[in-house]
Amino acid sequence: MKKLITGVAVVFGLIFPSTFTIAAPPDDTFVVGLPTDTIGLEPAQISSRHTANIMKHIFGQLYSVSETGSIDPNLAESYKISDDGKEYTFTLKEGLTCHDGEALTAEDAAYSFNRVADEDLAFTGNSAGFVYKSIDFKEARADSEREVTIVLGGPNHIALGLIAEVYVHCKDSYEKMSKDEAASNPIGSGPYEFVKWDKGSQIVLKKAANPPIPTNFENVIWRVIPEASTRTAELIAGNVDMITNASPDQVEAIDASSTAKVAKVQGTRRMYVGFHQGPEFAVTPGGAAIQKPEVRRALQYAVNVPAICENLLNAPCTRMTGIVNPNNAHPNLEPYPYDPEIAEYLLDQAGYPRDANGVRFEITLQAGEGRYLNDKNVVLAICQYLDDVGVKTNCEILDWSAVYIPLIKEKKAGPMYFIGSGGATWSPLYDMADLSAPDSGPNYTKWMNEEWFKGWKVINNTNDEYIIRREIDRMLEVFYNEGPWLHLYFQPDFYGVSNRVNWNPRRDEKVDLFNATLK
Amino acid sequence: MLAPIWSQHHFLNKKMFFYILRRIPQTVLVIFGVTLVTFIALQIGGDPTYLFVSERASPEEIEETRKMLGFDKPLHIQYLIYLSNLVQLDFGDSLYYRQPALTVILETLPATIELTIFSMLIAIFGSIPFGILAAIYRGKWIDGSLMAIAMLGQSIPSFWLGIMCILYISLNVSWLPISGHVPFLMLIFQGEFIQAFKNLPTTITYLILPSFAVAFYSVSRNARLIRSSMLEVLSQDYVRTARSKGLSEYIVIMKHAMRNAWLPVVTIIGLEFGFVISGVVVVEVIFAWPGLGRTVFDAISNRDIPLVQAAVVVISLFVIVINLITDLVYAKLDPRIKL
Repeated sequence: MKKLITGVAVVFGLIFPSTFTIAAPPDDTFVVGLPTDTIGLEPAQISSRHTANIMKHIFGQLYSVSETGSIDPNLAESYKISDDGKEYTFTLKEGLTCHDGEALTAEDAAYSFNRVADEDLAFTGNSAGFVYKSIDFKEARADSEREVTIVLGGPNHIALGLIAEVYVHCKDSYEKMSKDEAASNPIGSGPYEFVKWDKGSQIVLKKAANPPIPTNFENVIWRVIPEASTRTAELIAGNVDMITNASPDQVEAIDASSTAKVAKVQGTRRMYVGFHQGPEFAVTPGGAAIQKPEVRRALQYAVNVPAICENLLNAPCTRMTGIVNPNNAHPNLEPYPYDPEIAEYLLDQAGYPRDANGVRFEITLQAGEGRYLNDKNVVLAICQYLDDVGVKTNCEILDWSAVYIPLIKEKKAGPMYFIGSGGATWSPLYDMADLSAPDSGPNYTKWMNEEWFKGWKVINNTNDEYIIRREIDRMLEVFYNEGPWLHLYFQPDFYGVSNRVNWNPRRDEKVDLFNATLK
Repeated sequence: MLAPIWSQHHFLNKKMFFYILRRIPQTVLVIFGVTLVTFIALQIGGDPTYLFVSERASPEEIEETRKMLGFDKPLHIQYLIYLSNLVQLDFGDSLYYRQPALTVILETLPATIELTIFSMLIAIFGSIPFGILAAIYRGKWIDGSLMAIAMLGQSIPSFWLGIMCILYISLNVSWLPISGHVPFLMLIFQGEFIQAFKNLPTTITYLILPSFAVAFYSVSRNARLIRSSMLEVLSQDYVRTARSKGLSEYIVIMKHAMRNAWLPVVTIIGLEFGFVISGVVVVEVIFAWPGLGRTVFDAISNRDIPLVQAAVVVISLFVIVINLITDLVYAKLDPRIKL
């Protein structure tokens, strides 16, 4: 027995001392800690933000949206729009190459756009679903070696920003691959080449031989670390340079470490409570009450949004004034203040006085759990605020994916529901497109306001920037006074950043590592 | 003339061979049952189409996607299509990864097998000395201390233990890596033996903490089981006879007593293997271990029905095979047991 124990000790002794040292990333490598793995590496099939963030390092776009919201050249150096607004012709930069070594030409760009729309390949997700339907994509064609034209069904003011969401890949390589092969072997056109994907573990990229845009680190590793506390531990230990989705309750621990800090940023995701305007809810007392703009306006005063941000999200915030992100919002609108007395007064005026039990009307607020930052507690707080002004609110917290999302997408959530909607910094119209038509997909409230929807006709019939901005502001005033949302906040995002690197987060949940540097 | 297959093996006799044959129809029935239960359970969760469309999807896009994914067909048709593909060993494509579901499973299975085997080794070889020592020193302070630790091990949740290990062993003193995985088995399966064995020491350092978090409960339970089993065996006549023959205590314990004390432990280990291979999700999440448990967990969250179905079938097969081996080992250890 003694011999056995000694033998085991010797073997362990030989193996481990050399391997117990945990190395920080080398100076030429940037390591990111992500909560989830990529959903495949198919550039035409992207339906999550994390996947898009990885893909934009492997694939170039014709133009790309910068952190300030400007739309800047990427693979293309310029573009022009046809007189009828239906054709966008891009001129590619000179000397571009694909990661397979071939020259990247307009033919590759046209192929990339047409491949997304290929019915046989049946892609879904952001490009094939949202982008192509929004711009009414018809076709892409190569006009010359460097000129590619994207043909739309009609003029569209946000087409350029949406085209910037399509990734350019390389025709020769993709024609040789089956759909299955393409899902895990990306041959890109961007600043980084794909090296390997250890499913559920990491994705390794190295700098391309001829990157189309400048970048600093030679290697980028995206590590999948699902548990927030483990991501925090890896960051503090110096094994990763940046973590996304840092948990608000670990902010203090990260900031107290000598190795990393938390970067908080007010995101572009608009968090709101929707007031369902459909007839199916109008038959209930609460559903009938929120049909009235006066009641909806009154409820805006009832909720202390800055207190929710401070106490439940661990980040100060400015309350939203409407549907559009701050940099594009109406310049003269002020967020509704928290004033329960005004709320009570307006509810009295609207014909909903408190009864003998102190209740004005009863209503249900539905929400999904686990999708947004501290969502359950935020919803419970909102219910309490509404209770305080006499609106007896039944909080229904539901399973996110199995129950809540089907209700939302079928526009059956309500009469009040809590949700977040992704926004952008580059155009107010992108944010407003949630309500681009009474029957648009994200108009979950079934809001039919004529003053709002006639604004779209004005905007779609002009190219005059002044008229467009004037109309946007008019629509935003309508939304502020009579809109179907209880305005909350732009969801804050938390990133943990190692002290060894310089890296700044963006507001729009996109992650760029191109400008990151070693300190 | 060819000899029957069982005659070529010491372990596999005629009875065992026919016993295995008898288990095949049972296996088919079990697989059918688990696929049906899984299918119904996933369908109760509602239409998964909504998770595969963009945030701003229009009703038309949702309908097109539903049709493309095949969720527009009646449920019984969907299930029959699945079954007919299954008999051809076609598990379908993962809706999320857009790859054959079986490929995704097989890519993550080696990591889970590594974790399972290492945990089982800790569970077995950690519990034996604990259990024997506690039985030999029954009522003494060693027994009391070991059983107190065992009680603790059965009470501490594995996720808490995992986080504490990360905090104190990895972060504070940097003895072991916090999280991650260095492949070994996958490389072996791919024929990259040199790289696999180069990785082995690092693989083991990454395995220690998650395996410990998984195995601590099992060590504790098995130790208690071995203790009680040993106590029963040590009071038997044949043990007294062995001692009276003048055999050393080591031989009495390890050769005579241990063999019979093993029987209940073997049963538990067999069951445990199935539990560990399918039930280490929490530990895989905490330690960022890219295994099957996490893949299935994500697939359920993402309503990736083909992937869940394929995983369930593979896990079921594993459990069935392990149970079969357990039965055979049981019969081998105790000749009184008839198959």
